[in-house]
Amino acid sequence: MSFRDHDKKTFIADTARAYAERRISKRDFMKKMSLAGVGFSAFAAGLLGNTRPYRGNLGLLGTEALAQDASVTQWLKDVGAPFKGTKIRYTSEATPPTVVLDKLKNEFTEPTGIEVEIEIVPLEQVLAKATQDVQGQLGTYDLYYLDQSWVATFAQDTVDPVAYYKEKPDLAMPGFDFDDFSKPLVSGLAEYEGKWAGIPFDIPIFMLMYRKDILEKHGIAVPTSPAEFTAAIQKITEAEKANGMFGTGLQAKSGHYSLNCDWTQMVWNEGGSIFGADKKFKGNDEAGVAGLKLYQEWIKNAPPESLNSTWDGQFQMMAAGQCALVQSWDEFFPGLDADDSKVKGLWMPAKPLVGKPLRPLSEVGFGEIPNYAHQGGSILGLSKYSKNIDPAWLFMQWACSKDIMTRCTLLGGFAPMRISSFRDPRVKEKAVVGPGTTRHLEMVEWIIDNNIASEPDMPLWAGFSNNEIPVNLGKLLTGQDFNGDAKACMDTIAASIDAAVAESGL
Amino acid sequence: MSSDSFTPRHAWLPRWMTSEHPLPWLLPAGALMVVFGIFPLYKAIETSLYKRNAATRKMIFDPTHNWSKVFLDERVWNALLNTLFYTGVALLFQLVLGMLIALLLDSDRKGYGILRAMMTLPLVIPPAVTAMMFLLMLNGSFGVLSRGIIELGLLPPGFSILGNASTAMAGVLLAEIWQWTPFMVLIMLAGLRSLPKEPFEAAAIDGASAFQVFFKLTLPMMSKVIAIAVLIRGIDLLRAFDYVKVMTDSGPGTATETLTSYAGRIYFGNADFPYASTIALLTLVLVIMVSTLFMRIFKVKL
Repeated sequence: MSFRDHDKKTFIADTARAYAERRISKRDFMKKMSLAGVGFSAFAAGLLGNTRPYRGNLGLLGTEALAQDASVTQWLKDVGAPFKGTKIRYTSEATPPTVVLDKLKNEFTEPTGIEVEIEIVPLEQVLAKATQDVQGQLGTYDLYYLDQSWVATFAQDTVDPVAYYKEKPDLAMPGFDFDDFSKPLVSGLAEYEGKWAGIPFDIPIFMLMYRKDILEKHGIAVPTSPAEFTAAIQKITEAEKANGMFGTGLQAKSGHYSLNCDWTQMVWNEGGSIFGADKKFKGNDEAGVAGLKLYQEWIKNAPPESLNSTWDGQFQMMAAGQCALVQSWDEFFPGLDADDSKVKGLWMPAKPLVGKPLRPLSEVGFGEIPNYAHQGGSILGLSKYSKNIDPAWLFMQWACSKDIMTRCTLLGGFAPMRISSFRDPRVKEKAVVGPGTTRHLEMVEWIIDNNIASEPDMPLWAGFSNNEIPVNLGKLLTGQDFNGDAKACMDTIAASIDAAVAESGL
Repeated sequence: MSSDSFTPRHAWLPRWMTSEHPLPWLLPAGALMVVFGIFPLYKAIETSLYKRNAATRKMIFDPTHNWSKVFLDERVWNALLNTLFYTGVALLFQLVLGMLIALLLDSDRKGYGILRAMMTLPLVIPPAVTAMMFLLMLNGSFGVLSRGIIELGLLPPGFSILGNASTAMAGVLLAEIWQWTPFMVLIMLAGLRSLPKEPFEAAAIDGASAFQVFFKLTLPMMSKVIAIAVLIRGIDLLRAFDYVKVMTDSGPGTATETLTSYAGRIYFGNADFPYASTIALLTLVLVIMVSTLFMRIFKVKL
C-alpha cells in the first residue's frame, strides 16, 4: 500500500480504528503506523490511557456455538418493542468485558430497536464523567461503569437492581437469577450499606503467576508467602539480570491507581489495614510500614520501568519475558497465552501469597476487607437520573445475564461473575494453552471464594486512591522525597487523609 | 455602483444581512465569546468561592476557603515552580534552536523549500500522540532513545528516564521541544524573509563578519518577531498539560506536576471542583501577569 495515496490523518485514524476493532494484527498496526511516521507500537501501551490487556477470541463471534439463544431473542423482541428507537449510553474503561460486550451489543439492538452507545475512555475519564453526571443529576449516562473503589461514592445515584427486578415484573428477564452471582463478589463489590449499587460486571483479582521454566531452572519452589517471594525474586534477579530478566515486574507508576492496588496488598499481607475501626488511616502503623518497606525491596528486583508502568506496562513486562514472578491481575493470563506471545504456555497460575494473619474486620473501618487477593472489580449501575431507565434496565439485565456473561468469558478468557459460567462445559473445555485460555479460572474461582480483599467503601476513597496515596508513594519510590523513609511517607499520607476524613464529617 | 444595480442583487437576502450596522456582524463572535469565554470564566470564579464536601456533595458558600488554601498548599508552589521551569527551559531551547534552524534554512537554493515544508510535519501530530511516541521511545526497557543514551554510557542499563524524579522533567521537555521548535523555525523564517536587504548589503560592503551581521543587524531587526513568538509559545507553555498527562501523569511524585495538571488531578481524581477552579484561575492570573510584564518590557504591541 502506498502511503502517498492516503491522507495522513485519515490513514492514522483508520489504522487505529482497525486495530482497536481487532481487524488487523499488532504487527500490521505497527507497520502502518511507522509508514505514517507516528512511531512504533504507539497504541500498544494504550493511547491516552492505560488499557487493560485484552487478547481474546473475537474471531469466535458469529459462530454457531456462540449464538444467542432463540428464547432470549424472543424475550428481547417482546419486551423491547415499546422502547424501539431509544438510545442508551454508558461510559466505561476498555475492560475486557466491555470490549466484548461492545461487539455483542447488536444482538440486543436488533430485536429491541434500542441503540446502545458505549463510550470507551481511560479510567480517570470514566470517573470524571460519572462524577459530573451525578453532581448535576444530568442523566447523560443511563448506566455507570463503577470501579470497586467508587462504589460507595455512587451508591446513592444508582437503582438497586434486585429491588427493581421485583418492582417491574413485566420487564424482568426470565431466569436472571441473582443468586447465581458469586457471593463474595456481591458482598465485596456490589453491595453498599445493604443495597446492591449495581450488578457485578468484571472481576480482575490478584493471583500469583510464575514462569515455570525459570523457577525450574533455578530450583525455586513456587512461593507461598511474601518472604519466599522476596527470596525468589532476589535470586532470579541476581542470576538473570544480565539477560534482561528480573525477579518480578510491578505496576508502580507514581500517582496512578495501579500503585495504590499494589500497596494495599502489601499492607494487608503484613496484617495491616488502610483504616482502623476508629476511621483513622492505619497505613503508617507497624504493619503498614513493614508492607511498604517490603515493596521497596521488590522494586529493586523489578525492571526500572516498573516505576513508570501501570497494569498495562506490567503485562508487557510479563509478555516480553522480563520477569518471572508476578502477583497481579488474573486477567493478564489469556493474553500471555496468545498466539503471538513470546511466553505462550510458560506462565502458570497459583494461589496468592499468604502473609501474616489478617487484621480482623472488627478492627478495620469503612467496610474494608483485608485479605490476600486485591480485587479490582467493577459493577454496572443503573442511573437514578436516567431518562431511559427502562430500556437501560433491559440492556443491563441482558448484559449481565448468564448467557452473555458466559459468552463474554469464552470470547475473552477473563473471570466470570456467575457461578454457572465457571461451571459451563464450554468454559471448562477452553482450559488449555491458547488465546483466550480459561486454564487459570479454576484458581480464580478458588481465590474469589477464599481470598478476595476489598478496599474501603467510602465516598472519599476515589480521591485518596488516585491522588494522595499514589502520589506520595511515587515520591518515596522514585527518590523525590522522604529520603527512602517509608514511615515518613506514610505519616504524610496519614496526616492528609485524616484531615480530609475529619473535614468531610464521615 | 448605482443603487439600481445594488438593490436587485441583494433583494433576496434578509434585511439584517444587508445592514451596515455593526451589531449583526459582531453578534456571532460576541455570542461565541460569551458562551465559550465569559460564561466559563464567570462559572470558574463562582465555583471557586464554594467549598465542596466530597462525602455529601454539598457546595457551601465560603469565599475564602479555596483562596487561602491555594496559597498554603505546598503542591501549588511546587507546581508553580515546575510550570515556570518548564516554560523557561522549553522557550530557551525552542527559541535558540528555532533561530539556528531558521538561519540554516533561510536560503533560496534548490531543495530548501522542501526542507522548510518538512518543518511543519511535527506540528500536524496531535501533542498527545507525540507524548505517546516519546513515552515509548524513552521506555527504559525497549525505548530507542533510552537505549541510545544507555549505549553511550550516560545512563545505567534499564534506567527509566520518566520513572526517575531527577530526569523525568527532561524527558517531558524533550517531547515538547521536538514538537514545537518547528513552530519557532517557521515564525523566525517568516521574519527573516521579510527583512529588508539593504542593511545587509551595506554591512557586506563594509566587511562585517557573519557574527557582527547577526548580532548587530538580524537580531535587533527580528526583536519584534521574536517577542511575539515568545509570547505565543510562552502562553501555551504556561498551560502545559498534554505531555505531562500522557508521559508521566505529573510524576514521579510531583516532579513534573504543573499548575494545570494539578488542577486536572484535583478535578478528575478528587472531584473537588471548587479547588480545581481556584488553581485554574491562579494559572490564568499567572498567564496574564507574565504576558503583560513581557509585553511591557519588550514593548510588544499586538
